[in-house]
Amino acid sequence: MDALNDSLFVTQFLNGIGLGAVYASVALALVIIYRTTGLLNFAQGEMALFSTFVTWWLTERGVAIWPALLGSMVFSFFAGAAIERLIIRPVEKSKNQLNLVIVTLGLFLAINAVCQLLFIKPGQDQVLMPLMFPGGKLNLIVIDIPWAIVGRAAVLAVECAVLYLLLQKTKIGLALRAVASNPESSRLVGINPGTMLMLGWGIAAVLGAVAGTMAASRGLGGFDTSLMQQVLVYAFAAAALGGFDSPLGAVVGGLIVGVARTLTVQYIGWLEGIDLIVPLGLIFVVLLVRPNGLFGRNIVERV
Amino acid sequence: MSDRSTNLPDTPPAFATPSAPVVAGEKRLPWLRIVFGVVVAVVALALPYLNDPSTNQIFCQVMYLALAAMGLNLLTGYNGQISLGHGAFFGVGAFTTAILVVDHGWMIEATFPVAALLAALVGVAVGFPALRVKGLYLALITLGLAVLFPLVVKKFVHGSGGVALLKPKRSQVSSVVDFWADDIYRYYVCLAILVVLFILAWNLVRGRMGRAMIAVRDQEVAASTVGIGVANVKVWSFALSAAYAGLAGALSVYIDRTADATNPIVYFQRSIEFLIAVVIGGAATIGGPLLGAMLLVAIRRRTEGTEAMAPALLGGALILVIYVLPDGIVGGLRRLSTWIRGRTSGGAPPPDGAPEPVAPAPAPSPT
Amino acid sequence: MHTKRTTKQRRPLTALLLLAVLALLATSCGRSEDTGKGGGSDGGGGGNGDGESGAVVDTADCPDTGTAGIDGDTIKLASSFPQSGLTSAFAQISKGYLAYFDKVNAEGGVEVAGKKYKIEVTAKDDEYKPASTAQNIESEVGTDGTDAFAVFNVVGTANNVAIRDDLNDLCVPNIFAATGSPVWGNESYPWTIGSTLAPYTVEAKAFADYLKENKPDAKVAMLVQNDDFGKAYEEGFKQQIEGSDITVTQVKTYEAGTDEVTAEVTSLKASGADTFFNGATLLACPNALNAADEQGWDAVTFVSGTCISKTLMGIAGEAADGVFATTNIKDPLNPAFANDSAMKEYNETLKEYGAKDVDPENGIVAYGYTQGALLVEILKSLDTLDRGTLMNKMYDLKDLTGGLLLDGVEVNTSPTDRFLAEDVQMIQYNAKNKYFENIGDVLDFEGTTPDITPKDLINS
Repeated sequence: MDALNDSLFVTQFLNGIGLGAVYASVALALVIIYRTTGLLNFAQGEMALFSTFVTWWLTERGVAIWPALLGSMVFSFFAGAAIERLIIRPVEKSKNQLNLVIVTLGLFLAINAVCQLLFIKPGQDQVLMPLMFPGGKLNLIVIDIPWAIVGRAAVLAVECAVLYLLLQKTKIGLALRAVASNPESSRLVGINPGTMLMLGWGIAAVLGAVAGTMAASRGLGGFDTSLMQQVLVYAFAAAALGGFDSPLGAVVGGLIVGVARTLTVQYIGWLEGIDLIVPLGLIFVVLLVRPNGLFGRNIVERV
Repeated sequence: MSDRSTNLPDTPPAFATPSAPVVAGEKRLPWLRIVFGVVVAVVALALPYLNDPSTNQIFCQVMYLALAAMGLNLLTGYNGQISLGHGAFFGVGAFTTAILVVDHGWMIEATFPVAALLAALVGVAVGFPALRVKGLYLALITLGLAVLFPLVVKKFVHGSGGVALLKPKRSQVSSVVDFWADDIYRYYVCLAILVVLFILAWNLVRGRMGRAMIAVRDQEVAASTVGIGVANVKVWSFALSAAYAGLAGALSVYIDRTADATNPIVYFQRSIEFLIAVVIGGAATIGGPLLGAMLLVAIRRRTEGTEAMAPALLGGALILVIYVLPDGIVGGLRRLSTWIRGRTSGGAPPPDGAPEPVAPAPAPSPT
Repeated sequence: MHTKRTTKQRRPLTALLLLAVLALLATSCGRSEDTGKGGGSDGGGGGNGDGESGAVVDTADCPDTGTAGIDGDTIKLASSFPQSGLTSAFAQISKGYLAYFDKVNAEGGVEVAGKKYKIEVTAKDDEYKPASTAQNIESEVGTDGTDAFAVFNVVGTANNVAIRDDLNDLCVPNIFAATGSPVWGNESYPWTIGSTLAPYTVEAKAFADYLKENKPDAKVAMLVQNDDFGKAYEEGFKQQIEGSDITVTQVKTYEAGTDEVTAEVTSLKASGADTFFNGATLLACPNALNAADEQGWDAVTFVSGTCISKTLMGIAGEAADGVFATTNIKDPLNPAFANDSAMKEYNETLKEYGAKDVDPENGIVAYGYTQGALLVEILKSLDTLDRGTLMNKMYDLKDLTGGLLLDGVEVNTSPTDRFLAEDVQMIQYNAKNKYFENIGDVLDFEGTTPDITPKDLINS
């Protein structure tokens, strides 16, 4: 029954799932922030990059990869909340779109540069992230799936489960959703919207930390400050496809975008090198034709 | 979900409110302005003779950056459409010039109008779909454009060495007049182009087109009811601003002798640079882009050794500006001068007595 | 949408615009194509390779900068190469020649035409990016080309191509370019010449010959870099297998500076090849070997001569066992050379003068050391220390040896043979012992590069 294993389609499909898991994680972060603060966080990728460097930094000091990731997640939670409180909050009130874009762009630049300054010393050898998942493949009788892909999909599933439980089954989750939907009224029932916003950004930063670490942890693990830059565009495409306010949409969108990427590169040769055009086209088409995306509920203003 | 998803701003952007209506008092001292203008002109003309070629190159870099920033300013400052893709228009201009000069042997000066035109055409191509997408989503799409552009260039442009890098020879950007050295000649060419295009912009925003652009920015629905062709204005603004950026790109090849698409995020970085120049200098002003460009280049030079310092500082500056100086340096200066004038005239209100209007105002007076 | 202006307002503006356009057009009509500063790609610095003893560069067309870059008794060299991040593996090359120069300097300097000079090298990091290389060299050499005597050992094919126009125009020697591109034989750019790294087409021929003898019906898949470096391998190899039963099943490219090649290797394996020409360099090379190993692709593999360093092969580890390559430098790890006198001298020099973090066992340090040693020999042989003399000497090397060149390999150049070292030996990697074993004899390809390389490749 090697037919499935030898099939190029299946191999590339699985590769797409592996990529898509990373896109989905970032898209989830984007969606959480969009729902709570109503803005598109262009700096999401760089925040994830910083968290990835933190993970790496911990592993350089002897911590194993999974504990290092957990440490980075904790750090990222507080860092994300701090960013919201100190940098985003004052601008968030103004409702001026350009200012919001500018602030997140400023963050994009600053965080990327800070990563370079803090973590890359001149003459340093390449930065290597240890592997999160073992090599080799999981044998499922009809098909062998590389452990790396299984691992990523599993991580994504856990993220989804945790988020679902958090948002739907806990009081905090309820408060978060309330603030996202109507901050004024939620204040009336005693919820502090500010705290909830910080929480939202903290959660998004944690998701980013996981996504970035997964993205770096492949092959030999070499990565540099450009790690998240293309990922960001794919993640935006995933979020747009799924609907910017739907976490489920982000996950589904991420997987679709990942698979679409590997399959188009494989089967549409002339797209090689410019396959970025696919998610971009996707964003555009979605915004034109179905602005809510596949799963979104909110009406996005159109002309 | 609150109405955060609507992307029509409820209030005009901070930089739109003029901080000082034209005060009658200024007419009292026109000679001050004239003297100031003459001094500036003399300095600008004498500058290249007082400096060495590499410093002159820096001045030229300021100039083409200011040009690109002005282009973005026209679109985002005066017309309210957010673009993170002006790096791509810049790149279109740069590669048009580079390809014509390196592969086809054109005179480089002759490529400038072509570069501007091509960039404008791409601007139109982007401007039409942009009608359907607004605010943050337009920013997203244009970001994608800036990231996509170098990839497309890489695929289709093969400079020598087989990479997407084109470098005109020194002889192709040399001086054509005997009495001007290469770097001095190039400086004057840039200066001439900058002055002409800034005057053009200045005229534009004071004229009917400018007012239409601003009206569309602030109250689109109202603008259409008074007969302004909103779609026309918006697409036109895109085309014009793209032309500026494209011309700036052509000049960059002239000055830096490089058109480089090997780095996938280079044009995205350019887009952000232009935005920084516009915002920090002062959006919706004429002097703002120039000031912003100066600051940008100054910071770059100061941090030359450590490569990452510049973006770190710029990112921080960008965020700071939003809080401290929302209308940029020019806006801040204006407010300062109003405050000073207010004090020196003994606290009497300015003759027109116009407070900060809430409703959208006509074109702010240029610097 | 047009702007209605009063005629009064319109006129000055239009007039202004017209003036500007006219001025631009007028000026642009005046340019003469050739400002004669050492010439451009249509003549070089007066270069024409006629006859065996004719000078290759004619300094008559050059500005009077023959001795520029010599500061008192110091010869200043400029270089640019990757020193950090994903591309840092090549930074080790410089440690080799810097150690040699330090030794020479400590012993009083190199004697040229009766005077002793010290050698000083300035080198900035370009992260393997050609645009950065151009910037670095321009700042190190100065806008008029007088801040350094010569440019030395710049790494990368595209990187050297980015600077050759300028250096040609300014008559600045660009010697020992650390790439094996056949492009350095382009007679329009006489001021640029390569190093002992054998031309890539020679490598391709060596491998093709090996296959013809040992695996005549091989199906070859190729992984090459997406620029002229990769093109040299691809076209060179394809030209060599013409007329034989060897076929190329697929060629995949990857972007310079990236190391992600798993998808490409997957595709190459799926093309049904049983032979793998791994023309990748830097991290992409060991990554490709690892990917091939992981996917269970059992192929006769050949790696680029730029990949045979201890660092890169070490990263590949077991996956590199049995891969072939070519070289003309002695591998410091090979015990067969342990008692070789040149190797002993190399080890001593590095111990005493090498930087703290240098690893003498790394093959590319040996390569760098060899370039330094050869340069010093060449300098010693000049009758005057100026650029033109140096450059012409580079095209007049006879049976020169030095450094860690393999026994039997000699550097020979002439105006018609612009490649320093074309003799190579096949080597095979032993992962257990972690070094390359030499196979067979030194293959003599002296003077053959122009014949085995497609003409438009050399002249690009």
